[in-house]
Amino acid sequence: MMDELELLKKDWQKKEQELPKLSYEDIYKMIWKKSSSFVKWIFYISIAEFVFWFALNRIPQSSDDVFDQSKYLNQIDLGLEIVSYAIMIFFIIKFYINFKKINATDSSKKLMENILKVHKTVKTYVWFSIGLFIVALLLFFVDMVIIEPELSDLATKAEGANQPWLIYLMSALVFLALIGVTCGILWLFYRLLYGILLKRLKQNYKELKKLEV
Amino acid sequence: MKKELEHKFVTELENNQNIVHKVCRLYTNDRDSHNDLFQEITIQLWKAYPKFRGDSKLSTWMYRVALNTAITLYRKSKKRVKTQDYESVNFKIKADDYDDTQERQLKLMYDAVKQLGDIDKALIFLYLEDKDYSEIAETLGITEVNARVKMNRVKKKLRTIINP
Repeated sequence: MMDELELLKKDWQKKEQELPKLSYEDIYKMIWKKSSSFVKWIFYISIAEFVFWFALNRIPQSSDDVFDQSKYLNQIDLGLEIVSYAIMIFFIIKFYINFKKINATDSSKKLMENILKVHKTVKTYVWFSIGLFIVALLLFFVDMVIIEPELSDLATKAEGANQPWLIYLMSALVFLALIGVTCGILWLFYRLLYGILLKRLKQNYKELKKLEV
Repeated sequence: MKKELEHKFVTELENNQNIVHKVCRLYTNDRDSHNDLFQEITIQLWKAYPKFRGDSKLSTWMYRVALNTAITLYRKSKKRVKTQDYESVNFKIKADDYDDTQERQLKLMYDAVKQLGDIDKALIFLYLEDKDYSEIAETLGITEVNARVKMNRVKKKLRTIINP
């Protein structure tokens, strides 16, 4: 008996005559349409992320009156600003280079790797930005409570209380909890956003990877 | 210059459109998705065309871009899954065609292939297209040995489905 798969192959090749036929004009029209490739989505979302995090990391620094009054903090602030610019430029260059490498003529595995690399660059940038944001907030907090006590309601209350350290500790805890919750929400948001976009790609990549073991 | 390139590309795609249709047939379940995917593959081919040097065969290059688009770049739209309608049209399957065993087996196998994962589908597709292992390995980016091992596994899977 003929092998079933050989039979399938023969039938598959025979069915070629039943395929649709597009005219020259049909195809010509197609080359001017816009791509709906999801790589484009990753590109747009990444740009939005760069802008969002860069803007957010500027906010604490912009409350200048607080920082202006403390020379010490002002210098740290300037340092932070330089660091955040440098990080941003570094990531944008890396993102651009990785993005340019995405090429439909590569092998499937290479193509998937390159897309995942673009995603990784953005992910690392987001984590850096969150770190930077937390540092900036911490500085702001320290400034409010310790260095510039007259600016803070909290400090006045703490000085009047029997156990000032307790108030400091509690406000620090509240502050940390807030940071924790914010990071948690962000993390969930990213999982969801990229999870949906990259689910199929990751599955297929895993499938190809599995072959190598 | 640009006009010339357009003309050359469209003519070549028109002559080789079967490759793209076959990938669409395998990876989609209804006519609208088929057209959507064909559209996206055309755009990807056109984008890559200026860099096509001719060091590989045009068809080899088309297989690769078409499969990559279907597996990786294209986002399936969730609308409309009229599997039944489409298959009967596209594979010209009529109930009375299947009264002997061989035909029934074929129908079973086409259904089974449709249910495979994206990568397995690509392997079977390249097998059905009579590609050798070196081309399969190069297209997917795996070694020839791994392509062989994986292909045997997929074939076995299909055989079990029709001969339980």
